Amino acid sequence: MADEKPQVEVATEPEQAAPKHSGKPTVAIKVYAPFKIYYEGEGYSLSAVNATGPFDILPHHHNFLCMLVPCNLKIQTPDGEKIIKIHRALMHVKADSITVFVDV
Amino acid sequence: MRRPLEIKAEEASVRSVVSLTSALETLSSMQIAKTKNKVLISNQFFDEVWNIYKQIRVDVFFNFGRTIDETPINKELLILITAKGGLSGDIDNRLIRKVVEHYDEAKNDVLVIGHHGALKLKQSHIDHTYYFDLPEHDYVNVDPLMDIIRQYTKSRIYYQNYISLSQQEIKDVDLSDVVSSKGRVADLSTLGDDMVTEKTYIFEPNSYAVAAYLENSILRLTISQFIYDSRLAQVASRFKAMSAAKERSITNATELHTEYNRAKRSQVDTRLKESMAGLKKLRAGGAE
Repeated sequence: MADEKPQVEVATEPEQAAPKHSGKPTVAIKVYAPFKIYYEGEGYSLSAVNATGPFDILPHHHNFLCMLVPCNLKIQTPDGEKIIKIHRALMHVKADSITVFVDV
Repeated sequence: MRRPLEIKAEEASVRSVVSLTSALETLSSMQIAKTKNKVLISNQFFDEVWNIYKQIRVDVFFNFGRTIDETPINKELLILITAKGGLSGDIDNRLIRKVVEHYDEAKNDVLVIGHHGALKLKQSHIDHTYYFDLPEHDYVNVDPLMDIIRQYTKSRIYYQNYISLSQQEIKDVDLSDVVSSKGRVADLSTLGDDMVTEKTYIFEPNSYAVAAYLENSILRLTISQFIYDSRLAQVASRFKAMSAAKERSITNATELHTEYNRAKRSQVDTRLKESMAGLKKLRAGGAE
């Protein structure tokens, strides 16, 4: 990885049908710390903040790895909005699945 | 021979020790189940983070998240994870013995976690340089520890490892080695599509910053994992010690009960003998 030059263009993922809830595409979300699962389930989107600024992750997002800064994670779920306050976290997005490792 | 009342009193006190050790044994057994469950849950978390780290890591050498211009202290820091108090069996004694074998005042500084270990170390005439209480809560903030570790060229951690309910071992590992070996990918070709590279991932702010952040995170998680492992081994050791104490006190109480019965029987026999002798004497007197 160290020898590769950063590329502007990123490879696109093969089109896959995202899971849907009431006709809206969803993404699997898991927010957890070593001893606690804050949220695990489907969601329409996840909003967070990193060093660059606030951003949203929607279904079909490209593979993504980033550090989050202290913020409120907002998850739009079929049951409404869930807000999780985090101090430090790592976000990993892959194949319509978002994992947020809290307190790492 | 002791008087039966004395033996009875001693037996009563031993019986209360049986009740106490039995209660502590039950408590330890509950703690083991709770701690073991937590360790298993946390291991899943650690494994997932490790899996990302070993794919992204840039350097095979782990440098504790230090920058090039930082000059570390040319000593090895010994980190001891011990229990917060007594009643933890012999596990801390074994750990201290192992540390004493390795310790060299000129080459080592000592960081102790846990009050019991600090006391035992003092008894072995070794002064610790840093001290922290063993965290009680689930969330362990190891940042102050990391700041100290980062100042040293090498760090060796002594911790207690849970093997089974009856077996706990003392382990010592070089922190840099353990992080490097865990982060090493055995065979890159096995990673396949899962590989985290700049071709397949977007990194923010960039891949190097994420890798550097992960290196710190991994050190933080490694230390936390050792603390959780030690906690489990400590409660298991306490359970073992309490079980042994309970067994011993039950044996003592049984022996004392037998002794009490024997003393009482002997007392009755003596009285009976005295009465018989008196009766004989009376009869002999009446015959005259």
